[in-house]
Parts: sequence; structure tokens; C-alpha cells
Amino acid sequence: MYREDVLCRSILGNIPGRQTRQYQSPSHTPTTMTDFKGVVVDLRSDTITKPSDGMKKAMMEALVGDDVYREDPTVSELEKRMAECTGKEAALFVPSGTMGNLISVLGHCEHRGSEVLLGDLAHIFLYEQAGMAQLGGIQPHIIPTNPDGTFDVDEIPVRLRYEDVHYPRTCLVCLENTQNVCGGKVVPLHWIDKVGEVAESVGLPVHMDGARVMNASVASGVSLERILRVCQTASICFSKGLGTPVGSVIVGPEKFMYKAIRLRKVLGGGMRQAGMLAAAAIYSLDHMVHRLAQDHHHAQLIAKAINEEKSRNVTCHPDDVDTNIIIVNLNPETVTPDQFCERLLMVSEDEINETGDGGVLVKVMPWTTTTVRFVTHLDASLDHIQAVITKLKYVIRELDSIH
Amino acid sequence: MADLAGETMNGGGGGGGEIKVGVGGKTRVGEEGGVGVGAKIRVGEEGRVGVGGKTRVVDLRSDTLTYPSLGMKTAMMEAILGDDVLGEDPTVNALQERVARLLGKESAAFLPSGTMCNLIAVLLHCDRRGGEVLVGDNCHIYRWEQGGIAQFGGVHSKSLKTHPDGTFSLTELRQAVRADNIHFPRPSLVCVENTHNMEGGKVLPLSWLDELSVTCRELGLPLHMDGARLLNASVSLGVSPERIVRDFDSVTICLSKGLGAPVGSVLVSSAAFIERAKRLRKGLGGGMRQSGVLAAAGLYALQHIYPRLSEDHKHVQIIAKAVNECVGGAVTCDPSGAHTNILMLTCDPARITPAQFCTRMEKVGEGEEAALGERVSCRLISINDTTVRLVTYKDISLDDVEALVKKLVYVIKGIA
Repeated sequence: MYREDVLCRSILGNIPGRQTRQYQSPSHTPTTMTDFKGVVVDLRSDTITKPSDGMKKAMMEALVGDDVYREDPTVSELEKRMAECTGKEAALFVPSGTMGNLISVLGHCEHRGSEVLLGDLAHIFLYEQAGMAQLGGIQPHIIPTNPDGTFDVDEIPVRLRYEDVHYPRTCLVCLENTQNVCGGKVVPLHWIDKVGEVAESVGLPVHMDGARVMNASVASGVSLERILRVCQTASICFSKGLGTPVGSVIVGPEKFMYKAIRLRKVLGGGMRQAGMLAAAAIYSLDHMVHRLAQDHHHAQLIAKAINEEKSRNVTCHPDDVDTNIIIVNLNPETVTPDQFCERLLMVSEDEINETGDGGVLVKVMPWTTTTVRFVTHLDASLDHIQAVITKLKYVIRELDSIH
Repeated sequence: MADLAGETMNGGGGGGGEIKVGVGGKTRVGEEGGVGVGAKIRVGEEGRVGVGGKTRVVDLRSDTLTYPSLGMKTAMMEAILGDDVLGEDPTVNALQERVARLLGKESAAFLPSGTMCNLIAVLLHCDRRGGEVLVGDNCHIYRWEQGGIAQFGGVHSKSLKTHPDGTFSLTELRQAVRADNIHFPRPSLVCVENTHNMEGGKVLPLSWLDELSVTCRELGLPLHMDGARLLNASVSLGVSPERIVRDFDSVTICLSKGLGAPVGSVLVSSAAFIERAKRLRKGLGGGMRQSGVLAAAGLYALQHIYPRLSEDHKHVQIIAKAVNECVGGAVTCDPSGAHTNILMLTCDPARITPAQFCTRMEKVGEGEEAALGERVSCRLISINDTTVRLVTYKDISLDDVEALVKKLVYVIKGIA
């Protein structure tokens, strides 16, 4: 049921500024953003993070060059550091995680008629516009994903294609860590290792979509190098929780990176004085990794607060929250994700009177047909989180009083 | 033999085969606070290039080397930002509107590179399988974009012979656009490049563009302009960019070349086309987040750098004239053929090959410092068996140009 929900649903875009519709209860007045005097907390995604003053200073001071000529010393420094901390030979700075994954898949699957094994809830499969098929002519072959973000390792040899004129050729296994759709789940290290072992036994490389692998590393206390040990390549985002304005990095073998540089260029990702962006990433490596634990803590606070309400209508368990993503379950008979999100973007007079401080608006994403996603990040401070909790408690109680 | 021991400025000195230097030591200290441009210096056949800190390095390999000034960087850091994938970065939105207005089109999309702009344009115009694009055989899309349109779009290229002025024959175009026949791909788009890079930064004649558009309208074909250096064309002609692209359905314009922004280009077209372009941008992996930092540089460039592009053109003329005055030299050029900021030098391969010439220009030879009064190293690019290209841009000062000219004349006169 969960799987079908996700596959049927597309993520809503931009919610701000929208005139909110009248909610179920007649006691509410719609609020427009321009009138609002209270606190707005945006938890739609960690991609909205903005560069701090320290990060901007690093960007200003960066030495730059033409990265298409591979002459940008700051890009080179970032790539060197990423190679080192992931235990790989080389790295490449790219404009986005989507491009990082696309380059990796295309690089691993160079021959026509290839197929990739990956989870059915993988970002690469669901949210990258079928790039591997659209642009690479590669077929994705999906494996059912477990709620913990893993898939059954035994499915790999079962689904592997043997040589037959009817079959494409399996060329790659992809993993995702943390697993986004499942709720920012840290996939177990022993599972990653097992996937690597099985993949190697059948001659397949492994690529990790590690958009949020830094969150996984901080949450589990395991080094990036160890997490990625069995992965030949990985794509790691800097523009999410780490807070940089733009960019991701691919890591992997030196020979692969040469292919990756070519793919990056032909896709149109060859940037010039990209050192300014790389400087932000370097800054984040030095200053923004450890603080991810705070985002995880904030996510726990929100999950606990929801759980404490013991609501019939809105539920979430702290044990299901591994990192900075919270999936909140809604009772489909009482409220839809759209309605819940809209309600969080409204305040009533009663609400302001009760909660004080001009009220709170919270932006979050409808996720599946029955869930909503919250993502904590560096631009949502403890104060903001507490405001979110205040709002949530109010709304949940209101819902529970009606239904 | 040149000497490596000199004090280094701006960049770190290194031992071994690769040395990082600040570009043009003397001219680099100033408001930019000595931002060095890391550059690897190749070991030439005749020995190491002298790049101790006292060497003036004049790097004319491309105008993509432009680096952001302090003013530009300040604008970048002060920009208001948002998530551009969600359409919420106000600075990106402002840049897109500005460029669309400049070109007289409805809409624009900010992209990481000109290559991506062209790729998206071709893929969108030729979005039915079996399509064909008609292009000049010496254009960037055909020769320098790794065949991306074929690789990712399955688009066939029909190349037309490029004339030295950057145009192609409209008769050849008509003949190439064939009737619907089961043997033929479907002609779906015509592309031109302005200024034309490989023909030496040539500005396409306005009259030819107008005739081309009439022809394409008759043939029922849309037109795309790879206007990576469109603003150079506009400045050279004294004609507004809007007028130049009036009849074009889509246009690529680069911010990271002569305009000096660190990253980015803009694809310009109708609102409907740009909506589709943003979608394909995401699929290609060009969806950036707080790219307002980059867009701010673009806005700054349009305001402050665009007005001075004619200086780069003047610099090319100074260089071209000086080369031209070396009568009987092994290296020649045609000043009248240099319309903008690119100059092609022709080498007589019997006397010196382009590769040899480039190496020689980079090296500081024996006795040269005494003859020229300073150590000058110039970086140029060998294009083919007979041609060397150099490109001027905002970070090449008049001083640099004069040093380059001294060196060019000295070297050319020294070739048997």
C-alpha cells in the first residue's frame, strides 16, 4: 500500500504565498503571508538551506580558475578532500545530485542494452525524471524496498540477467543512504556490506546515492570511508543539510572519474570558476558536518511531541526517525496530506490567543496519499522547532476534537 | 634556460613538472587582493617555462578564464537567495527576466553552461524521434559539444559548409532540407553561431541573418542561435541584441565568457519553451539550489562588464595590426577579419607549426628578458595544422596587450 501511494503521487511544489482555502472547521480565518506577523518555519526540505556568513566569506576568498581546463585550485582541493575522506581515488564536483547519479549510472553502463538494479523507492528511480532511460537508454529494474530503506539482498542474484538474447545486461546495483522516501533511514552497515559482497560475487559494481550520506555517517557514528567501502562510486550532496548553495561530488576510481569528467561536460555541467561553489563545500566539510546531529535531535523532538499527543489522526514514532527526516502519518478518513499542510499554513485568532507570539506557520511537503514529510536543517533553529511543536500540538488537538 | 627560482607571487610555487602561478604577477595585485589563478605550466620541448613570480603571464587561451572581480563577488554574497528548483530564488528570477528583456523574448532559464543551453534547445526543438538539425560544419554545437545532441537526444546533424565569414550558403540549406521521404530524417531545426568562434569571432552579417530567417520561415523550420558571445557581436555591430535575435526562436547567451561571471549561461525563448527547458534542465542535472549567488554575478556582469566589451575588441586590433606589420613573417593575420575579441593567427607550417609557436610564446627564451625589458610568457591555443587562436577579455589589460605585442613581434622576427 505504501509503495503504490508513492508511485501514484508527485511532490507538490511551491506552497508559499498561496491564499489558503477554508479548512474543515468554521472557526478559522484564512491567512495570507503578507498579513502574517508571526513565525514562519520552512521544513519542506534541507535543500532550502542558505549559505552562512562564514561560508560566504570562504566563497569570496577562494582562489579560482577554469574548471573545464581543470585549473580551479579550490575545486581541486575539494575533490582531493572528498576522495580522501571517502577512501576513494578521485572525486568530481558537479552542479547537482541528479547529475552526480546520472553521470555515475551512465559511466557504469556504457553499453547499449544495459539494466540497473535499484530499490523501487530510490530517488534515482522516482525523482530523476527517468534520466537513465531518457538520456542513457538504460533500463531500471526495481526491487521492493523495505520500510528500513533496504531491499532483499537475495533479490540481486535472482534478478540478475544471465546472457540471453531476450535480456538486457545487468551492469550496476544502486543503493541510497539515507533513504529519503522511507524517512531518512540510515541503511544498516551490514546490509551495505552484504550487498557489496553479493554484487561482487556476480561481477557487478555498486553505486551509492549518498545525497544525505553525511547524515548517515553522523547518525551512526560510522566514517564515510567505512560506509562506502563496498561502493565503487557514490554521489554526495553539499547543497542539502550541509548548507552550500549549489553542488554535489561524485567519488570513485581514477579511471571512472575520467569518464565522469567527459560525461559532466557533455551533459552541460562543465562550469568555469566553480571554485567559489567548491569553497562553500570545503567550508561545510570543516564546519557543518558535526552540526547535523542537531538536525537529527530536532527531528526527534518533533517526532516525540507528535507521539506524545497519542492522536487518532496524526501519528509518528521517534524510533522511525533516524536522521533529519520525519514522515508523519495521517488518518486517511479524517484529513488528507494537502489539508494538513494547508492547516499548518493557517492561523486562527483563537490559536494566536492561546499560543501567543503572533502565531506560527509551518511549511511542509505532502508526501504520499497518507503522509506528510518534515525535514529539519540548519536554518531551523531550536526556537523554530519549538514553534513548530507548539503549532503541531495545537493542530493535532484541534483535529482530534473534531474527529 | 629560464630560471625558476624567482620569488613567487599570488600562487604557490612548486617543484617538479607542475607549477602553479598567479596570472600576470605585476598586474594582479590590486583591488582584487591578489587572487591568483592557478595554472599548470607545461614543460616545453626546449626546457622549462620560466615562471618565477617576476614573469608576466598573459593567458589568452580563452575568455572563459575571466575571473570575478571584488565588486562582482560582493554582489554575489549580498544576493537574496532561495531554492531555484522550487522557482524561489529571486536573484535567478531577476536575471532571467533581465536577459529575456535584453533579447526581446518572453522568458529565460539560467543554466550551468552554454553547452547545456544548446543541448536543451536542440533536444526541445527536435523532440520527436528521427529529427535532424542543420548546422554549420565548424560550429561549436557540431564540433565541441561531444555530440551530445546525438548521444542524449538521438538527433542527427546535417552539417553545412561554413564560409570564412561564419555563414553558410542558403542554397545549400534549401537543398539539405529534403522532402518527407522514408529514407530521410526529419529536418527540425537550423542553428547558427554568433559570434562564430572557430572562424575567428566573426560577427554574422545582419542581412544574412534576416535572409536566413525568411528562408527558414518558408521551410517551416525554427531557428536557434548559439549566441555564446552574442553581446560581443552586438557591440561590434552597434546593433541591439534584441534586433540581432529578433527572428530566432531560441538563443543561448554565455555569462561566463567575456562578461566575466564565474559560472553560467542563459537560454532565452518563449515562455512555453522555457518551461519545457527548465524541466529538461532538471532531468540533465542542471537544477541548482541557491544559484542566485551565480545569477548575481550575471546581473553584475550585464551592468558593469558588458559596457566595456569594445575594449577587448580594440585590444585584438592592436595585436592584429602589430602582427600584420611583420611583413614576411612566418605568422600572419588579417586585422579586418578580427571582428571581436578573438584573433586567429596563421602559421606557415614549413617554418613553424602552431604547436611550436605556442610553446615558443610561452617560453621566456635566452636573451629575451634583456630584449623586451621584462619576462613575458603568453599562452595561446593551437587550433589546427595552421592556426593559433588568442582571445582577449577584461583581465587582459592594455599593459598586458603591449607586452604581448612586444613578445609577438620579437618571436615572429626570430623565426627563420
